[in-house]
Amino acid sequence: MKQEKSGALDWFSRRLNLTEIFSLLTSYGVFHAELDSRKNIREAIAEAKAQPMPSYDQWPRVLGLLAVVLLLIEIVTGSLLAFYYLPTPQTARASVATILRDVDFGRFVHQIHFWGAQLLIAVLIVRVVRFLMKGVYRKPRELMWIFGVLLLLVCFHSDLTGKALPMTGTAYWSSVRALELVGSIPIYGSVMLFLLGGGETVITELTLIRFYLLHVALLPFAAITLIYLHFSGVRRLGQTETGSHETPTRGGPVIRIHLLNQAILFTILLGILVSLAVLVPFPLGDAADPYLTVPGVGPPWYLLAPFGFMELTAPFLPTWIGGTILFLTFTAFVLLPFLPGFREGARSRGLSWVIVAALLAVWIFLTIYGARVA
Amino acid sequence: MRPPRRAQLTDGLIAGLIGALWTLASVPVSAQEMCGTCHPENRVSFEQSIHHLENVSCSDCHGGDPAAREVKAAHQRDFRSLSDRLEVPQMCASCHADLDQMRAYNLPVDQYAVYLTSQHGKALAAGETRAAICTDCHGGHDIRRPRDPSSSTHPRHIPETCGQCHGNEALMQEFGLDPSVVTDYRSSIHGRMLLEEGSLAAPNCTSCHGVHGATPPGVGDIDKVCGACHEQTRRAFLEGPHYEGMTAASVPECASCHSNHAIQQFGIERVESLCAECHGEGSDQAVLGHKIHALIDSAGEEVAAAEALVHRADQAALEVEDPLSRVEEAKTYLTEALPAVHAVSLEPVEQLTRRAQSIAEEVEHELYSKLDRRVAKIGLVLFWFYLLMTIAVLVIFRRRLRSETEAS
Repeated sequence: MKQEKSGALDWFSRRLNLTEIFSLLTSYGVFHAELDSRKNIREAIAEAKAQPMPSYDQWPRVLGLLAVVLLLIEIVTGSLLAFYYLPTPQTARASVATILRDVDFGRFVHQIHFWGAQLLIAVLIVRVVRFLMKGVYRKPRELMWIFGVLLLLVCFHSDLTGKALPMTGTAYWSSVRALELVGSIPIYGSVMLFLLGGGETVITELTLIRFYLLHVALLPFAAITLIYLHFSGVRRLGQTETGSHETPTRGGPVIRIHLLNQAILFTILLGILVSLAVLVPFPLGDAADPYLTVPGVGPPWYLLAPFGFMELTAPFLPTWIGGTILFLTFTAFVLLPFLPGFREGARSRGLSWVIVAALLAVWIFLTIYGARVA
Repeated sequence: MRPPRRAQLTDGLIAGLIGALWTLASVPVSAQEMCGTCHPENRVSFEQSIHHLENVSCSDCHGGDPAAREVKAAHQRDFRSLSDRLEVPQMCASCHADLDQMRAYNLPVDQYAVYLTSQHGKALAAGETRAAICTDCHGGHDIRRPRDPSSSTHPRHIPETCGQCHGNEALMQEFGLDPSVVTDYRSSIHGRMLLEEGSLAAPNCTSCHGVHGATPPGVGDIDKVCGACHEQTRRAFLEGPHYEGMTAASVPECASCHSNHAIQQFGIERVESLCAECHGEGSDQAVLGHKIHALIDSAGEEVAAAEALVHRADQAALEVEDPLSRVEEAKTYLTEALPAVHAVSLEPVEQLTRRAQSIAEEVEHELYSKLDRRVAKIGLVLFWFYLLMTIAVLVIFRRRLRSETEAS
């Protein structure tokens, strides 16, 4: 193989470090073995194939992979939408209406983009819950946890900024509620509000263009980076359930089976996505009027719990104290692996379950409360 | 050394200034100010008025000597206190009926003549001094223009102004008049439009009864008074059998069904019971009422459904400019059908409701076909079929791969 130097692969291989590029691409979860980038591509792949492989194609370890595919779908459909979208308060809704009405397949692309985002967030939440339950935050996987939670956070921000873009009444007031919540956090909140809209909790053209910039450039870049970092960790540590290395169950060319499994999974995912887009269309809604509050519009659903907390404590706690508590709670959640009680070997599995259940219960209670007062 | 020029100049200026002040101070005090010395409250009140603005002085109405500095001298000559109510209208008319004086203000000069024909004017002529005179409505000293929002004759204050007497139970009973007219009016659609919504297009007391010639319209004239605004309704009413029949029987036209002061907005469902109130339940006329109601009701439902569908289409970002304008057209026909009811005949109503209904049906048909995602749903079924085939192929392929792997 090495001696045949007539193929296109070899032509490129002499000019580019294909092994490194392949290694970078496989960082997004297709293939978890580490490749030696000093070797020729064919050699490196042959070597990787010969390695014993873990059976990493089993549910639910595909969640990260699903997230990658959904992110890819979001990037492709989002780029298509950006061809027509005009990010000013005056033109935003009209341009989205044009996409839905006049552009070929515009409605379909828009729906796929919307439902793809919802599925992405759902997948990431399930993933974080799984991490919590399986203890994927103990040594040496502290960073996996942090990347996972930050990725979820980035996707929440993408959803928040994306929903505001059509400038419809519900989107507008939902964003205003979210900005108010952010604004309740001392210092951090005022800095964020200044960055997002010149210090006001009202959506102006500056807010909109900054939301747009976050949505199409900064947040996707952050998501891609976090996923890359996460899979780098997976390749270094191996994909296992707990802190210990799992012994490979199957050797040989399982990669092809793995790829086939992925293809089946993605086909089903595509089916679900298209079905949702066709059967449950997301309505555009009326144009936003800054002088007309749409009744019953709360923040986005994932912010209902913090919103509910602020509403619950509003009668007896000053806003800045509530905001500080929220901020500290969230920081503690991100830095969970370094908290005294959660360090390696600190806790039995049963107790972890109790804590997860308690956290979920509080979250669900606050979400329901937030939805009721919104 | 002679004094510097500048000093001379300053001396001259000061002298000039003192001279000017002296001249100003020696100007005779104006007539009003002299009267106001003893009548300060009247002076304050008068200074708010349009007459003050137009340089009418106290003596123009009251006579006397405004320049006099003694009480006695001031109230001599042709002074009149105007405490005799019989004098007042004539006194006002001395200017307001004079075309030469009023021309510059573009004011009518027939108010006095018209007033004499009014119920108020006739009563006054008969010696009833409690009958309303000019100052009762316009005020004595603080007369303002009707367009001034603080004027007692501004449209929004008319019910209150008329109500001073017409809401006074004891006084009205003496004249055999209904004291509840003002409260009735306030509760009516007209009163609420004027007083709550502030619409100056809504009629006040004077719109129907006349301004200076205030008199209740009689049977045979009511349709003309109401028809001044409700033109289409009146036209339909005159075409129908009610006009002749009601006037012949001395039944007040519009007021018989709608009342006079407490006029409420009728829903079309009122027709259901209204016809039977005079014609009796089960009569042909009552049946006609049911039919008319059914026509308008069903057309209204259809138009409402079309409008809801247009909103749904708008939410789904479909093109709604054209359907929206057509729904507006249908609503116009529906609005026109309400005046047409007054001809108490099926045909004119049916013409309009049929148009409204057919437009609404057209719009609904068109939007349903656009909103209907049947094609997309069929496509989805085909897509799933394709996906399942793909999955089947992949599964077969995987099975073969597995058996190969195990064999090796």
